Amino acid sequence: MPVKPGTYAVLEGIQSEMLRDPTLTLLYEYMHPIAVSPMGKVIDLHQQFGPVRVPDVGPIDEEWFVGACTGMAMTGVRAIAHCPTMTSLRAFELVFNQVGKLRYMTGGQANMPMVLWQDAAGRVAGSAAQHADAGQEALYAAIPGTQVVIPSDPYDLKGLMIAAVRSPDPVIFFHYGEINSVRIDVPDEAYMVPIGQAAMRQQGTDITLVGFAPATLEISKALPGLKSAGISAEFIDPRTLKPLPIDPIIASVRKTGRLLAVDHGHETLCSVTEIIARVAMAVPGVKLARLAFPDAPAPGALEMISWMTPDAPKIVAAAKKMMAA
Amino acid sequence: MTDATTRMADAASAAETPPAASDNRKGVRRRGVIKGIGGLAGAAVAFGAPVPAHASNSWGTADVSDDKLVNMYTLMLRSRWWEAAMKDAFLAGKDGLYGACHLYIGEEATAVGTISALNADDYIASTHRGHGHLIAKGGDLKKMAAEMFFTTEGYNKGFGGSMHLTDVSRGILGMNGIVGPSHLLAAGAAYGIKVRGTKQVAMSFGGDGSVNNGWFYSALRNASLYKLPLVAVIENNGYQIDMPTEKTIALAELATIAKGLEIPGETVDGNDVLAVNAVAQRAVARARDGLGPTLIEAKTYRWFDHQGMAGAKIGEFGAFGLPYRTDREVRFWMSRDPIARMRNFLFGEKLLTEESDAKLVAGIKQEVAESLDYARTCPHPAGELGLTNVYAEGSVSPSQFIS
Repeated sequence: MPVKPGTYAVLEGIQSEMLRDPTLTLLYEYMHPIAVSPMGKVIDLHQQFGPVRVPDVGPIDEEWFVGACTGMAMTGVRAIAHCPTMTSLRAFELVFNQVGKLRYMTGGQANMPMVLWQDAAGRVAGSAAQHADAGQEALYAAIPGTQVVIPSDPYDLKGLMIAAVRSPDPVIFFHYGEINSVRIDVPDEAYMVPIGQAAMRQQGTDITLVGFAPATLEISKALPGLKSAGISAEFIDPRTLKPLPIDPIIASVRKTGRLLAVDHGHETLCSVTEIIARVAMAVPGVKLARLAFPDAPAPGALEMISWMTPDAPKIVAAAKKMMAA
Repeated sequence: MTDATTRMADAASAAETPPAASDNRKGVRRRGVIKGIGGLAGAAVAFGAPVPAHASNSWGTADVSDDKLVNMYTLMLRSRWWEAAMKDAFLAGKDGLYGACHLYIGEEATAVGTISALNADDYIASTHRGHGHLIAKGGDLKKMAAEMFFTTEGYNKGFGGSMHLTDVSRGILGMNGIVGPSHLLAAGAAYGIKVRGTKQVAMSFGGDGSVNNGWFYSALRNASLYKLPLVAVIENNGYQIDMPTEKTIALAELATIAKGLEIPGETVDGNDVLAVNAVAQRAVARARDGLGPTLIEAKTYRWFDHQGMAGAKIGEFGAFGLPYRTDREVRFWMSRDPIARMRNFLFGEKLLTEESDAKLVAGIKQEVAESLDYARTCPHPAGELGLTNVYAEGSVSPSQFIS
């Protein structure tokens, strides 16, 4: 199996679904997506599927493509709306009052097989508050009727995208750019990573680490440091925020007695807060801790944003502290 | 008869009628305009009829003093050379610069032409490509450079960087990284002006992409409804990142959007600072007189990439070899350099000589170099400062650590 960048893997997933479903439609912003595999294979969905299913360009108008995909989905045309990083909540009202409610309000009549493919920036230095966000998936997860997935490598990107497209219910698909370069084999053929299934990234006995992308990248970087500190860490990547796969996390914390949850979203109501709450109810008496980005917008200066972002050294330091306590 | 000539004729007959609501306006500008072109533009001011502006028109030049003409040229030069120095610093890589940089080079006539029609206490709401707006409104090059270097002495104390450079004390409601809200922010400022009962004006800037979403329509529709003192300026540089504008909207002239709102809409050559200024003066006068908003589309071109330095070279102008546009197209627009055009005009008017021009440019380059040298000496913020400025008082908790 070849290693593929996330940009290619996700289009490969959409390509296979567009071949499978002759009306699956992709609307988005800016120029149409093209990706090249390391072997030089090109995916150009606009060329392959034509300008109606994949327009040449998309205007700077998120309300159009999210709203249009909602209307398409209701009328039997599965659709993917791809939004850029800096407007990660432009679709929020449409998802809250339309996408998440229409099936329910119509007594189950309206189907809503759509995907909001939301690009997300992550905590990037020099981009400042509007272009270095993370964690807005937690807000979508608070909306009834949604499913929220957060892939953390190119394998999950492709597998979760295929699962999202095939789901009869809306999926909010948060895609952090940083995960595109994670090196992992991606099969050529179509496969699903089931929505609601966590991944056990590393087994251990002393402490359970959980986090969603992009914190997963920092947790992965922290693992060698934890090992050399003599800490046996178990690392679980839930991949789906809603429905949250809590059982393997509860089982892990029962074993380790410690949960360190890491989030690049803001402290108040960040995604891992829900994990901590459920673990606390299920396994009373365990040690619980959370590292999150402060309740501040992202600053531009490198010195400030890197100090504020929960990164590998901070994770190692926090785990050591929990072990010593 | 074309639509345009119909409107011209309507405007001409309207000019026979005395202006109704403009008695309290300063008369100098209107006299000059009427003298220049037989009252057409003056009628447009009084009655709000859309008047097409043309590439070569110089309406309103009679209103502009010699000093102001030279000042507009100076402001364009300051914007041009400050950005050129910043581009070179990015390319040289010696200063460790990082983050976004959306160059305005090539579009200077639009910022200078429009903002020169404003008073110091008027408001503007800028865009991600707003260095030129700040400079036209009197921005301090040192504080701008210090912010580009993300230092504590920058306008935004290192919180903002290139895309958010701003001086609120100069009535700037911020540069903005999101396309569209600038029009709403300025419309809101215009509503605030009505509430306070002052004679200020609010001017919004947005790219051609900013007309494609609901925020823009909300701003203009409500400005029209409440007759707000708003001037919305669309800087149409032909591209939205790498996307040609004509592929995003079916209108060739974006100013025609104004028709449906029954407000004046004018398309102007955005590389002609005097044409832009004439259109802006009319719009600002209307706004100040309580006659409501105007939509201005300035057609222009960015010589560099959407952001960053792809295709750019140290010491040279223009980004070449970009996949979404031809090099000839870039050269064509560079041959319509707004600064060279103004320079030629000033030479003809004997307001500038080879000697005085060389002195002016040398002085600006010196000022620019000093701004970068200053930025190089400024301290960088401590990480902890990132917890401040969230609220008026205090700081938020450092939740990235466990206590």
